[in-house]
This record gives sequence, C-alpha cells and structure tokens, in this order.
Amino acid sequence: MKSRLLDIMDAQYLPKGDITESGRWFYTATQSRNITIGCGAKVELLIFDSDRFEADCDEECEATIDIRLEGGAELKLVHVITHDSVTLLNIDLRGDAQCRVTEVMLGASTLKVTSSLMGSNAHFDLNGLFVLVGEQRGSVEVDVNHLHAETTSRTLFKGVASGVARGKFSGMILVEPDAQRILAEQTSRNIVLNEAQILTEPQLEIYADDVKCSHGATVGQLDSDAILYMRQRGLSLEDAKRMQVEGFVSDVVMHAAIERLMEPLQGLLSEKFKQL
Amino acid sequence: MLKVENLHASVGEKDILRGINLTVKAGEVHAIMGPNGSGKSTLASVLAGNEKFTVTQGSVEFMGEDLLPMPIEERSRKGLFLGFQYPVEIPGVSMANFMKMAVNEQRKARGEEPLSAAEYLRMMKEKSAIVELDSKLTSRAVNEGFSGGEKKKNEIFQMAMLDPKLAILDETDSGLDIDALRIVATGVTRLHTNENATVVITHYQRLLDYIVPDYVHVLYKGRIIYTGDKTLALRLEKEGYDWLINNYEE
Ligand SMILES: Nc1ncnc2c1ncn2[C@@H]1O[C@H](COP(=O)(O)OP(=O)(O)O)[C@@H](O)[C@H]1O
Ligand SMILES: [Mg+2]
Repeated sequence: MKSRLLDIMDAQYLPKGDITESGRWFYTATQSRNITIGCGAKVELLIFDSDRFEADCDEECEATIDIRLEGGAELKLVHVITHDSVTLLNIDLRGDAQCRVTEVMLGASTLKVTSSLMGSNAHFDLNGLFVLVGEQRGSVEVDVNHLHAETTSRTLFKGVASGVARGKFSGMILVEPDAQRILAEQTSRNIVLNEAQILTEPQLEIYADDVKCSHGATVGQLDSDAILYMRQRGLSLEDAKRMQVEGFVSDVVMHAAIERLMEPLQGLLSEKFKQL
Repeated sequence: MLKVENLHASVGEKDILRGINLTVKAGEVHAIMGPNGSGKSTLASVLAGNEKFTVTQGSVEFMGEDLLPMPIEERSRKGLFLGFQYPVEIPGVSMANFMKMAVNEQRKARGEEPLSAAEYLRMMKEKSAIVELDSKLTSRAVNEGFSGGEKKKNEIFQMAMLDPKLAILDETDSGLDIDALRIVATGVTRLHTNENATVVITHYQRLLDYIVPDYVHVLYKGRIIYTGDKTLALRLEKEGYDWLINNYEE
C-alpha cells in the first residue's frame, strides 16, 4: 500500500539544497532535513517512512524536519507515519506563504508540529489523524505561533484509539502582542473504543486584542444507534464499527492536501482499521 | 412467515410488551395502530433484535426458525427489514458504500457472489427510482442532512435494495407531506408481492388508502387488544381509541 502511495505520487526524490522552482517531490523520513522553499515556488511534497525505515532504526527513530517557506511560496504536504517513531516537524512561513498539511499517523509515535507564521497573509492549514490500536501509545502536539499581524491558521486533528491504547493530543495557539487581525482555529475530535483512552488539551495564549480564535475538543464513543442501524441492514458488528470509524476520519482523507493521494491513503487506513 | 406467541419484553425493570400474539403469512399486509407509548416501536425493535430490550417470555418463529437467539444482522440476512421511525445519521459513511456492503452481506448469506460495480450501480438506479430518491442523495453520507421526507424515502429505497421477506415499517408515514406520502406509500405497494409480507405501524388512515391491510391490530399497553379488517382503521380515525380502551379496561 505504501508503494502505491509512491506510485501515485509519481515524484522525484527531494534533492539537497533549496527548492526554487515549482514541482512535486517525495522524501523518506529517515533522517533530519532542512528544506527551504524559495519565493513563489509551488511545491507538493510527500514525506513518509519507507519500508526500509524499519531496518534503518531498530531503536526509536527521531527525525527533525525543518521547512521554511519564503514569501509567497506554497506547500502542499502529506506526511505519513506508519512506524513507531519521533518526528519534529517545524514549518516557518514568510509573508503570503501558504501551507496545507495532511498528517496521517498510524504508528505508536510521537509527533510534534510547530508552525510559525512570520509575515502578513501567511496561512497554515492542517488536517490530521492518528489511529492507535492494541497497546499502542501515541501523542501529537500541534503548536501554531502567530508571530505577525494578519496571519491565519486552521487545524483539525482526529484521533481514534481502540483496545487499551492511549493517545494524547495537545494543541496550542499562540498570538504575540503585536500580531493583530488574526484568525485561528483549532479542533480536536476523538473516538475511543473498548478500554482505550485519549486525552486532549487545546490551549490558547493570546496577547493581542484584535483576534478571532476558536478551539474545541471532544472525546466520544461510537454511536450505538448507528451501529444498530447498520447491523439491521446486515452488516456484522465489526464491519459496522469499522465503517463508522472510517466515516469519522474520512474528511481528513477526502481533503488530503495532495488530492491524488486520497485513494492510497484510504487504502492505508483500511488496512490499519482491520486491527481495530 | 412470522409467528409471535405470548411475547413479553422489558427494558430495565419496566415491562413494555406484555403478551403479544401475532401471526403474519406471506402475501399479507398488517397494520399496527395504537396510542403513543403503547409499545409499537418496542415490538418492532424486539423483532429486529435490538439488544436494549430483554425478552422475558414467549417465542418468535420467523421463516420456520427460532428468531430470538439470532443477532440483529443474522435476522436481517434472513430477510427481516425494519424501517426506522427515526433513521440514524452516520457522518462520513456514504450511502452507496453502506448499501453495497449491506446488499453483498445479504447475497453472501444466500450463497451468491458479490455484485460487480456495474451491476450494483444499475441496481441503485433502478431501486432509487421506485421512491424518486434524488441520485445525489446516494452519494452523500447516510441520512446526513436529509430532510424528514428524504429520510423516509431512503428507508424504502433500502428496503427495495434488500428485498426482504418481512418488512416492518415503523411510522414511515409520519411527518410526510402529501406528495412524499404518495411516493413512499406507492413504493411500499410496489414492493409488496405474494411471497413477502409487510407490517406497517401507523397513526393514520391515509397510508392505508394506498397499502390496503388485511388486518388492523390495535396495540395498547403492550398487548394487542383488538384486531379487525381495514374498516377498523377508518373507525379509529373517526372515533379515536377511547371506545376500545374503555372496553378493554373494564
Ligand atoms: N429504552 C427505553 N427505556 C425506557 N423506556 C422505554 C424505552 N423505550 C421505550 N420505552 C417506553 O416503552 C413504552 C413504549 O414505547 P414505544 O414502543 O416507543 O411506543 P410507541 O412506539 O407505541 O409510541 C413507552 O412508555 C416508552 O416510554
Ligand atoms: Mg413509536
């Protein structure tokens, strides 16, 4: 399924050095990288842990990925984590830069995304999901720093945990004192099955006054009425649960930053959901 | 087809069904009427296998088999369909995917191969036409954002897709305007054959103008207190339930 991701992405391996032209690349998240996307370049990037990854790191793997978008640059990033690992993803945006990220975390991993908006009209958009099964532990942190006036951000992260898995989402929106006319939104939605637990902590730190910020967090269970309804139509209990969970995260995949990756991402998820 | 004998069911400490007897044969249409809170939806739920209710006494035979030990999905695969009084919204689950899975489960239970994509599309088109269901709705999430009328049409669309032996329709006519009622009722009538049976739970005579019942039962306080023919529905519409209930309580 992961090679399908690559096939459909149909891209070159990300070269060393700055990216100054528009294009499509992929990169395997085995080592730390510094990526600069030059002024006005429009880039699609797939970062994922290849199957070689397991062989490379039998201990816990740690990678720091620093991405910097120069003025007016556009990045569409899909980041897929299937193995247990620690990833720090830092994204800095200059004026007019636009970044859309899709995070798909299917391993017992730690992920920290930090985005800093450093110039007017910069926009950061993140749709993400994590799925933890069995005894897996995982955590996601998303910090969005509005360091400059007239910047916007939106984050939606969905979590699913089953078995006795433990998940955690922490979110932070920070608005610096001089950063006026800010629009920021952060939502964390979670479903827990069986004995699993998910903790969610969205936070706001706002030091400016002309700011529209919203955040929300929920942790719920499967809807037993929906399960009953599906079973009445002949679906097994397992299929009904799985369908509902797939439905719950479907919008994250449907709005994948790189549209063509929708289908292979769906495939990856379906594989994972067999373990629910 | 269906034989319910002395059925008692409760939720928690509360007895809701208190000795239901009902026999439904192939080709028949039964109407179940009765004041709110009588136990009509509970009877439908218990027959469908909703685990919220506990059967404390009695037996149910369906297609020659003991129905009560079967889980919900098995009852469905054996040909029992429940049209929900309140169809459930399932965000993110597309109607088309959901029904495809349901249809294929039914086929599997009959030892048939799954439908090909083309066969399935053809079937959806044909069946949605029966209730004039907008084809856009089948690509949307199950019942999400559907109007009241669309939800009820969608129940009958699903019934058409699954082609059940016994359909129990719980207030499928409630909250419908005249046009939607005509479409839903005509759909149900078209799906009725000599090989299947339909039980409609309703408050209104108007549905029964389309679907002419062989029997009309009045359910009250968990029992069927009276059974008549189609003229009973007319009389209930005119005179209400009081004359029956008063008799019953004396
Ligand atoms: N889940 C439940 N828990 C407690 N009481 C219930 C439940 N479902 C139904 N009842 C009660 O059972 C009785 C019959 O309800 P219902 O079957 O919905 O009636 P009807 O469909 O005839 O209006 C009512 O008094 C109702 O309050
Ligand atoms: Mg009812």
